[in-house]
Amino acid sequence: MGSTTKGGLKGFLAADHRYVFLGTSVIALMGMWLSMQPRSTWSFLAGVYTLEVVMYYVLLAWVVVSLVALVNKLVRWRDYAGASPFTKPVAKRAERIASYVVWAISAVLFADRAIMGFCALVSSSIASDSNPRDFLSSMVYMAYEGRGVFARGIASTIELAIFGTAIAFFLAILLVFLRIQQIDRPDNDFVRFLKVVGCGFAKVYSAVLRGTPMMVQAMIFYFAGFAAFRSTGMSTGEVSAIWSTFVAGLVTISLNSTAYMMEVLRGGIESVDPGQAEAARSLGLSQWQAMTKVVFPQGIKNAIPALSNELVINIKDSSVLSVIGVFDLMFATTTVAGIYYRQLECYVFAAICYLILTMIASKILSALSKRLEVRNPGPVLGTSDVAATTGVAGDKADPQRVSALHDQKRDGTKG
Amino acid sequence: MAEDTKAQPVIRVEGLRKSFGAHEVLKGIDFEVMPGEVVTIIGASGSGKSTLLRCINLLETPDSGHVWFHGEDLAAEHVDVNRLREKIGMVFQGFNLFNNMDVLDNCTLAPVTLKKMGKAEAAEVALSHLEEVGLADFAHADVNSLSGGQKQRVAIARALCMKPDLMLFDEPTSALDPEIVGEVLEVMRSLAHDGMTMVVVTHEMAFAKNVSDKVVFMDNGVIAEQGSPKQMFSNPRLPRTREFLSRYLDDPEN
Repeated sequence: MGSTTKGGLKGFLAADHRYVFLGTSVIALMGMWLSMQPRSTWSFLAGVYTLEVVMYYVLLAWVVVSLVALVNKLVRWRDYAGASPFTKPVAKRAERIASYVVWAISAVLFADRAIMGFCALVSSSIASDSNPRDFLSSMVYMAYEGRGVFARGIASTIELAIFGTAIAFFLAILLVFLRIQQIDRPDNDFVRFLKVVGCGFAKVYSAVLRGTPMMVQAMIFYFAGFAAFRSTGMSTGEVSAIWSTFVAGLVTISLNSTAYMMEVLRGGIESVDPGQAEAARSLGLSQWQAMTKVVFPQGIKNAIPALSNELVINIKDSSVLSVIGVFDLMFATTTVAGIYYRQLECYVFAAICYLILTMIASKILSALSKRLEVRNPGPVLGTSDVAATTGVAGDKADPQRVSALHDQKRDGTKG
Repeated sequence: MAEDTKAQPVIRVEGLRKSFGAHEVLKGIDFEVMPGEVVTIIGASGSGKSTLLRCINLLETPDSGHVWFHGEDLAAEHVDVNRLREKIGMVFQGFNLFNNMDVLDNCTLAPVTLKKMGKAEAAEVALSHLEEVGLADFAHADVNSLSGGQKQRVAIARALCMKPDLMLFDEPTSALDPEIVGEVLEVMRSLAHDGMTMVVVTHEMAFAKNVSDKVVFMDNGVIAEQGSPKQMFSNPRLPRTREFLSRYLDDPEN
C-alpha cells in the first residue's frame, strides 16, 4: 500500500503483490468465459482464430499455475513463505509480469466480445426495420428511432434544471434577506413593519412551496397563469405563445427551488458564529452592513455544497413537469414508449439518461466548489508556542514566514 | 470642547437592569467612567460582569435604566446606536475576527464603510495600529493562521482603527493559553498608558491591581464594592470581596 501512495501507478505496477494469483485468476477466468461466448459480427479476433486459442491457453495455464501454487501453499502451510518456489524474488517478479499479460489478454477479449459485441448490437439494432424482440436491442432501436424526441427532451430538461436553479439562486438570496431580518433598535416603526412583513412572507412562502408537491404546483401555476393571461382578453392561441408549458414549468421549478435554496442559505447563515455579527455591530456597522459584509459571505460559503446539490435535484425533479406537458426527457420517454408500446425499455433508457446527466452535473459542481473553496487554513503559522517564545516583537521579526503566508494566500485565491 | 468632555464622565450607567427570562442578571447598576480612566470589573462567573459590559454598547438591550455616553442615552428607544458604537471599541473573549477577510481588511472594514475613508488611507491607519500591537507584518495574513494572542491583538487594532473614545474588553485573555496572556496584557497596558479610557472585565488580578484606576467588584448582579485598586486589594470593605480576592491575594504571582 505504501508504494501505491508514494509512487502512484508506477509504484503500484512495480510492486510484488501478495494476492497476484488470487486476483489475476479471477480476471483469467473472466477472460476464458468471454472467450467461450459467441463472436459478434464486429469481432476482430474472428480472423485470427489461432491467436485466440493461444490466448485462451495462456489464461488456462495461469489458472493451472495458480492452482499448483494453492496446493503447494496448503501442503507446505508452515514454511510456505520461506521454502516455496513461488515466493522467491525472481519467481515473484515473473508472476507479476505474467499477471500483466493475463490482464492484457482479458482486456483484449473484453474489447472483442463485450465492447465490439455491444457495437454490433447497436449497429444491427439501428439498421433493423422493426423493433427487435430482445430488451437491449429494442432499447437501442427505440433510442435511435426516437433520437430527435429524446434530444429535445434532454435539452429542455437541462435548460429547466440550469435556468431554474440559477433563477432560484438569486430569488433565494433575496428571500433569505427578508427571512433573516430582525428588528434592530435604530429602526423606525415603518422599517420595523416592513421587516415583520418581509420575514412573515418568506416564512409563509417557504412553508407553502415546500409543503406541497411540485406536480400540484405546476398545475396551479400553469392554469393560474393561463387564466390570468386570458383575462386580459387574449385568445387561447396568443396565451399559449407567451405562457407556454415550458415557461410555466420554468416558473414552477424556479419558485419551488427558491424555497428549498432559501432554507439551505438560512442554514448556512445561521451556522456562522454569532460573534461575527456582534463584532461587526460593535464597530458601528448597521445590521444590514454586518449582514452583507461579514455574515453573508461566510454563510454562502457554508451553503455551497448543499446549494449545488439543488441542481442535481432539479435535473431529476423537472420530470414531474411533464404533467403540464413540458417537453422534457420524461415527456419524451412517455411519447416514445407510447409509439412503440415498449414501456420498460424506454424508461430504463430514461433512467440511464438521468443518471448520466446527474453524474455529469455533480462532477462539474464538485470541481467548481473545489475552486471556490477558500484556501485551506494550511499550517498554523504563529502557534502559541512560537508566539510565547518570541513574544510580541518576535512576530515582526520573521519576514520569511510572512512572505510564505502571502504566497500561500495568492495560490489559494487563484486556484 | 475638549475640556468640556474632560469634566464629564465618558460613560455613566444609571439604574441598569437586565433579565434573561426569569433570571435577573443585573439588578440596578450605577457607575461611571471618567475620561482616561481604566476601570476593571472583577467578580465571580455569572455575577453579571460581561452582561454589564455588553449593555454599555447595547449588544444586550437593558430592560431599564440609562447608559449615558457623552451625555446621550444609549438605552433610549430609537437612538442611533450604530453611530454611538463607532466611538466605543469592543474586544471579545473569542476574538471574533472576520473569518472571510485578511488581517488588514478586518481593520479597514469599519473605517471604509462608516467613515467613508479611502482604502489607502484606511490601510495606512490600520497599519499604524497593527504596528502598535506588533503585527504589521501580518497585514495580509489569513486570520485563521494566527495564534490566539495574535488574533486578540488584531482585534484590539481593529477596534482602535475607529478611533474610539472608550474601549470595552470582555475577558480578553480568558480564551488564551496562559503563556500568551502576557502579550495581550502588554498591549492593553500600553493603551492604558497612552490615556485610553477602558473598561475591562477580567480575571487577571495583577492587571486590575497594577494598571487600573478603579476596580469594580460585582457580585450577584450588583456592584458590591468599588474603589482604587490599592484600597480594594489591601483593605476591601466587604467580607465577600475579601473572600473573592483572597484566592488571588494569596497567589504569590500577584
